[in-house]
Amino acid sequence: MVIRWVTLADIRSYRALEWHPDPTVNLLVGPNGAGKTNLMEAIGYLPSLRSFRGVPDDGLISYEADSGVIRAGLGWGDNGHLVEIEIFRNRSRRVQVDRHRLRRASDLGEVIRTVTFLPEDVDLIKRGPGRRRDLLDEVAVQLWPVSALDQSEFAKALRQRNAFLKQRERDEVTLGVWDARLAQSAGRVLSRRVRAMELLQPEMERAYRDISTSDIHVDIEYRAEWVDKTDPTIPAGVYEKALADALLGTRHRDMERRLTLVGPHRDDPVLLLDGHDSRVHGSQGEQRTYALAIRLATQRVITEFVGVPPVLLLDDVFSELDRDRAHALAELLPDTQTFISSARPEDVPVTGREWRSHDGSVT
Amino acid sequence: MFEGPVQRLIDELGRLPGIGQKTAQRLAFHLVTVDDADARRLGQAVLDMRDQVGFCSRCFNVAAAEECAICRDPRRDTSIVCVVERPQDIVVVERTQEFRGRYHVLGGALSPIHGVGPGQLHIDELKQRIPDEGITEIIAATNPTVEGDTTAMYLAREFKPAGVKVTRLASGLPVGGDLDYADELTLGRALVGRSEL
Repeated sequence: MVIRWVTLADIRSYRALEWHPDPTVNLLVGPNGAGKTNLMEAIGYLPSLRSFRGVPDDGLISYEADSGVIRAGLGWGDNGHLVEIEIFRNRSRRVQVDRHRLRRASDLGEVIRTVTFLPEDVDLIKRGPGRRRDLLDEVAVQLWPVSALDQSEFAKALRQRNAFLKQRERDEVTLGVWDARLAQSAGRVLSRRVRAMELLQPEMERAYRDISTSDIHVDIEYRAEWVDKTDPTIPAGVYEKALADALLGTRHRDMERRLTLVGPHRDDPVLLLDGHDSRVHGSQGEQRTYALAIRLATQRVITEFVGVPPVLLLDDVFSELDRDRAHALAELLPDTQTFISSARPEDVPVTGREWRSHDGSVT
Repeated sequence: MFEGPVQRLIDELGRLPGIGQKTAQRLAFHLVTVDDADARRLGQAVLDMRDQVGFCSRCFNVAAAEECAICRDPRRDTSIVCVVERPQDIVVVERTQEFRGRYHVLGGALSPIHGVGPGQLHIDELKQRIPDEGITEIIAATNPTVEGDTTAMYLAREFKPAGVKVTRLASGLPVGGDLDYADELTLGRALVGRSEL
């Protein structure tokens, strides 16, 4: 997978940019505020239709404009694709692939995949379980695009069930059918998470050992109140049944609290270091290594599973690392198109084509 | 922006579903330039529709009489009823020429977020129809959405204990197409819902 060219119109600091990056390693340098992250963000938006900064769509549009356009030419020759995304301030975006309207956002993931390293990745370890659940769900979507539908149906069923619990009149039959629908999607969501974990675990361990040169054991322990056992061989229907039973068990509590208190949205995939919770027991350095290992593992799993290496984005990651980790990461970067941004190029022990971003242009 | 009455028409057209500002303008200026009779016929059609059309007292389809044309048709099988969310869904099923029973329009699907529970749908009326018309099978042809699925499940739980067979439309592959052109979601769901030969 290669991004041959990108054009931006009224995206953040870029009024009109046409850029032909190198098919190997691209180093984006320049002082802070020069627009490096803006460009990385635009590339990261291509597969996910989401900003990795977590801002809503209209945050990507330049201040003076009402709409912005991201266009990109992907791949080579007959296998190439043209992706065009138009973002508006007050209506929904328009996405076209090869001049055809995209039917589902998740279809874009078939055309381009990216893995993004951010300084905030360490929050995967340091912060609450929500980020770790999102991580597994995001990997699942990259591996099995269909799971995007299960995830959005689960989220919708959960919102509906919670809305029902907040109503004044609540009948058992209606609650029962929302339980059933929620359990159906929950079973599918969990079974994908478990299979993603199965694929990630060995690669995470390998990447962790490569970076730290230590013999540490790395694992994910999936903590869920409503299932006895998670295993990639268990079919989704078993989890579905488990949640249906659990919902019946907590029904009284749910009715009282007017909230769904059990399900995949409350689970905690705990990241273990030699059997201990890395959130509690990991040192700063170990947590940072863990974060890198997760991203490297994701890249390897997708490459292995899909057969095409995803594009790598590393936004200001090297400045956060000590010398040894920076060198280890540089060594481990796979052979794929890579975008690295840094305000201090001397921190980046990687060779590649250097680009300077300033005044809304890249040269 | 334009002469009062023209702008008013543009605004009204623009409130219709699927019509944006530009299309509304195009339609309005078309109506300014067409024959007087053509424009009046459109206006009259809207007025007549509002005056003469209501909802079928039996199935809540749109009807120009007390009951809709389908409910009045004596050749229809009264023992089987196809339940849909909206009247326009009937047209889609009718076009298949495969269904010879009657319909029942729920008027939506269960959606607590929008305050829609069983009480807001025409479910009690359906309950009433079962003994009245000797209904033995309900086909839940609600949309394949979270809300539509849940509504179908509700119908099953509500009517199965009364001895009524409740079925759901299968979701599957488009007929006449190649397997390699099927999108993954449809194919994935078709695999889950596969049937034995």
